[in-house]
Amino acid sequence: MESQIKKLSGLMQSRQISCQELTQNYLDAMERDNKKINAYVNPTAELAMEAAKAVDKKIASGEELSPLAGIPMTLKDNISTKGIETTCCSNILKGYYPIYNATVWEILQQQNAVLLGKTNMDEFAMGSSCETSCFGGALNPHDLSHVAGGSSGGVASAVGGNLAVYGLGSDTGGSIRQPASFCGLVGLKPTYGAVSRYGLIAYASSFDQIGPITATVEDAALVYDAISRYDEKDSTCRGNTGKPASESLNNSIKGKKIGIAKEYFDGIRDDVNDAIQNAIKVYESLGAQIVYFDMPSLKYSLPVYYILACAEASSNLGRYDGIRYGYRTPHYSDRNEMICKTRSEGFGKEVKRRILLGTYVLSAGYYDAYYKKAQNLRGTLVKAFQDAFQKCDVILAPTVPMTAFPLNFTAQDAVETYQTDICTVPVNIAGLPAVSIPCGFDGTGLPIGMQLIGNSFSEPTILNMAHQYESAAGNSVFPRADMGVKL
Amino acid sequence: MITHEEILNIANLAKLSVSDEELDELTKDMSEIIGFADTINAASADASDFDNINNLSNVFREDTVVPSYDREEILKNAESQNDGYFLVRKRV
Amino acid sequence: MSNYELVCGLETHIELSTKTKIFCSCTTEFGGDPNTHCCPVCIGLPGTLPKLNKKVVEYAIMAGLATNCEISPISKMDRKNYVYPDLPKAYQISQYDMPLCKNGYVELSNGRKVRILRIHIEEDAGKLVHQRGSTYVDYNRGGVPLIEIVTEPDIRSIDEAREYLEKLQLIMRFIGISDCKMQEGSLRCDVNISVRPQGTEAFGTRTEIKNMNSFTHMAKAMEYEVNRQIDLVQSGEKVVQETRRYNEEDDCTESMRGKEDAHDYRYFREPDLVTIQVSDEMVARLREKLPEPPHQKQERYMAEYGIPEADAQQLIKYRSISEYFETAIDGVQNPKVVANCMIGQIFSRLEGDSAKESFQVNVTPENLNALVKLLDEGKIKMNLLKATLEKMLDTGKAPKELISEADMGGVDTDALKAACEQAIASNPNAVSDYLSGKEKALKAILGAVMKATRGRADAVEAEKLLITLIQK
Repeated sequence: MESQIKKLSGLMQSRQISCQELTQNYLDAMERDNKKINAYVNPTAELAMEAAKAVDKKIASGEELSPLAGIPMTLKDNISTKGIETTCCSNILKGYYPIYNATVWEILQQQNAVLLGKTNMDEFAMGSSCETSCFGGALNPHDLSHVAGGSSGGVASAVGGNLAVYGLGSDTGGSIRQPASFCGLVGLKPTYGAVSRYGLIAYASSFDQIGPITATVEDAALVYDAISRYDEKDSTCRGNTGKPASESLNNSIKGKKIGIAKEYFDGIRDDVNDAIQNAIKVYESLGAQIVYFDMPSLKYSLPVYYILACAEASSNLGRYDGIRYGYRTPHYSDRNEMICKTRSEGFGKEVKRRILLGTYVLSAGYYDAYYKKAQNLRGTLVKAFQDAFQKCDVILAPTVPMTAFPLNFTAQDAVETYQTDICTVPVNIAGLPAVSIPCGFDGTGLPIGMQLIGNSFSEPTILNMAHQYESAAGNSVFPRADMGVKL
Repeated sequence: MITHEEILNIANLAKLSVSDEELDELTKDMSEIIGFADTINAASADASDFDNINNLSNVFREDTVVPSYDREEILKNAESQNDGYFLVRKRV
Repeated sequence: MSNYELVCGLETHIELSTKTKIFCSCTTEFGGDPNTHCCPVCIGLPGTLPKLNKKVVEYAIMAGLATNCEISPISKMDRKNYVYPDLPKAYQISQYDMPLCKNGYVELSNGRKVRILRIHIEEDAGKLVHQRGSTYVDYNRGGVPLIEIVTEPDIRSIDEAREYLEKLQLIMRFIGISDCKMQEGSLRCDVNISVRPQGTEAFGTRTEIKNMNSFTHMAKAMEYEVNRQIDLVQSGEKVVQETRRYNEEDDCTESMRGKEDAHDYRYFREPDLVTIQVSDEMVARLREKLPEPPHQKQERYMAEYGIPEADAQQLIKYRSISEYFETAIDGVQNPKVVANCMIGQIFSRLEGDSAKESFQVNVTPENLNALVKLLDEGKIKMNLLKATLEKMLDTGKAPKELISEADMGGVDTDALKAACEQAIASNPNAVSDYLSGKEKALKAILGAVMKATRGRADAVEAEKLLITLIQK
């Protein structure tokens, strides 16, 4: 698969297309097709054209530009953009215009990125279908009767629907990888601390990580290389101190060890399993070795994730009190009632459920049984992965046990929906990197995804492995939606 | 099982108001979710202590003043302000 | 009271005098128009992250060392969750179970030790102004660094509480980590207090009186609260464990319990900040920075320089004063002269505590040192020293600019005799007054002598000589 970013960058550099023309193509396509998929919640056409104009000037003056210069892209609506409304797709933040930029957006602006708009997501990134968004969900560009996934559903829908070349999402328990998998795209959740979280509106601070959703592995590597930088504003961020991931994509993977932990395959759908078994065969043909082992502690990852992530969320979301920004209830009789009503009216159902769960597990009398125990098991899981990486270079697993949900599937039962995150949450618990790539289709033509999980800061390795599979499997596993900009 | 009273107590801590109509459904939902969280009870705690997720320490800032933001910017997103203060009126 | 004993522990909040806030680079300056010392971090905008000010950690360790604490090699920050408009993130970043310093003490003058349980760092909240039921919020103070110093319940009287707090204030000012101004809120105190029958061991139920902002209020609040508790116990009622506030107008304490604040702070580790590791080297480096503790300094001034206790206390009250003193006595034969110059002439030019604290005077300690050395060398006499110091205070000039070489020679015996004879001759009335028993008349003649010698003459010697000459 050819890198879209490189291709478009080349076309602009050789003056075959101007950045303004390219951007206009995307804006026209958005005008036409966004209403079908509801990917964008806040298009920024004017700013995009301004940025494009500046890029054309720089190209004309012969200035040396990064490969991301002039590439039309999108940001999930939980990444703060100065002067551009940032809502987390929640009623409580409607009308909020940040007065500062997220570090990732600062970096991309320096690299002359062209922002087409902010994209849809589950409210505060809490959900797996994008349907908890106050703007309604984003749809799957490959089948409009199915969801794009979540929480970064808008980014996946936009990139999958060819309404952006790439986008940045955030992944707390699978929110980049799952929608990438549902939409037939590449989604990279970087190592915790590889990318600055400054300006990412927090859901669960010790899990959240920003990463790219792209059409190809090389694109993901290029974006990752651009954004994985040390940031003095984020104490937990050290950036990628090793080699750029895009430089090792073509390395041979002969002799690389791929680990298969059987727990990842418990209860996954047969067609998903079949697709992954085929991928394993491709890897074997490329000279990789497959090693099998057990990771019994994986079975606790879901409750551990929900307990810890919701605990942090209950604290992170306490600040929405209607005083400094965002929604305030129009009717109240005193200050305390103002705060309670503002929050109850401003937050959606799923967000309130998670705040309540998080408050519960931290409250006196329950802390030890839930929060402390889960924190302890987090340590166990970290160790289980450390042990696993003694035996293999990467772990291969399904991204989601199934393919994209039909609309309104997740609305019915909270716990049942949580179960679908079973394959994605472990790496967030352990802070590890993982990339989801397409590996086939189900009977109805919906994409299936698999993920390659690596040790801390081994993005170059997992992207190399992903790229080698992508090259071998080719277009047969990478779908193209019939909408948006045709390149 | 979680009781109505517990739900109301947590809701008060979280500053969420729960109407009488919502209470039954919420209690049922939360019981289910907490039941799901309870599955960790089966795990043996091996006391492998978890520190922070990326094992960093001593990340500090130097004590050097950077000019603050213009007050106009600071107050820009507030629903109500007066005399340079964020304002919550007595009642609306 | 006499049958009961007071048991008290203090929780003291001290604002550190760093230049910037604890988690962002906004200024910590006191005052300022509302919301002008703010940025996205300290008003808790979504997506912002804290970054810990290194100075805050260093200052807290210095506070720990100055109060004999152990410094924890590993500590961390935690979130204390509660929703209140002055707390923009709805949690205060503080330290819960791993404070930076623990197990120290402050020794009182009666020899008793008040043990310090812990010292931790945390952020201050913003300020709410309530007006006609509306709430006005100012976040200038939000994020200003604090240390909280918690004692064991070792205090047994109001005087001990006062002395502990005064001593703490003095120590913190001396090590230069806070100005500890109660009136500006940079030193605030919560008092935990209970009573028990004399001679018993078990603690009574305690109440906590919040936010004492002056020594007087603290003493009054404690007095009221102790009596209230004794009355309750004696009448067979129970003391309710609760938080109370001091009401200045009615001079009483009153319960603060509202039904909404069922507190459950849900502490957990702050995930946005990393572990704090304090190495032995760091502790050693900070220990080196610590000045001599004030009480030790006072004793040394008394023992080494023979300075009376009351004067020594004045000299150590502020670090600026003792530093001035120590520079000014360098190489001086009698440091007492320097002390007298400072406490007498220099202090009289300074009005109020804050002027003493800043100790901005026209005379550099080097100039005072030079002046006193002239006395040591016998070049000037005490009266010329005093007169010159006044001129130095007026003009800021060095002593050499104000005293000529000729003046410094003093006056030889012949010249003095001539000046005295001259003065007697030109003041016949004064002489006859003196001879008729008006001893004061001598002062006028002496004045003439001093004037003639431009102050160089030794007044005592001149007086003796005048009397001899007149009586001849």
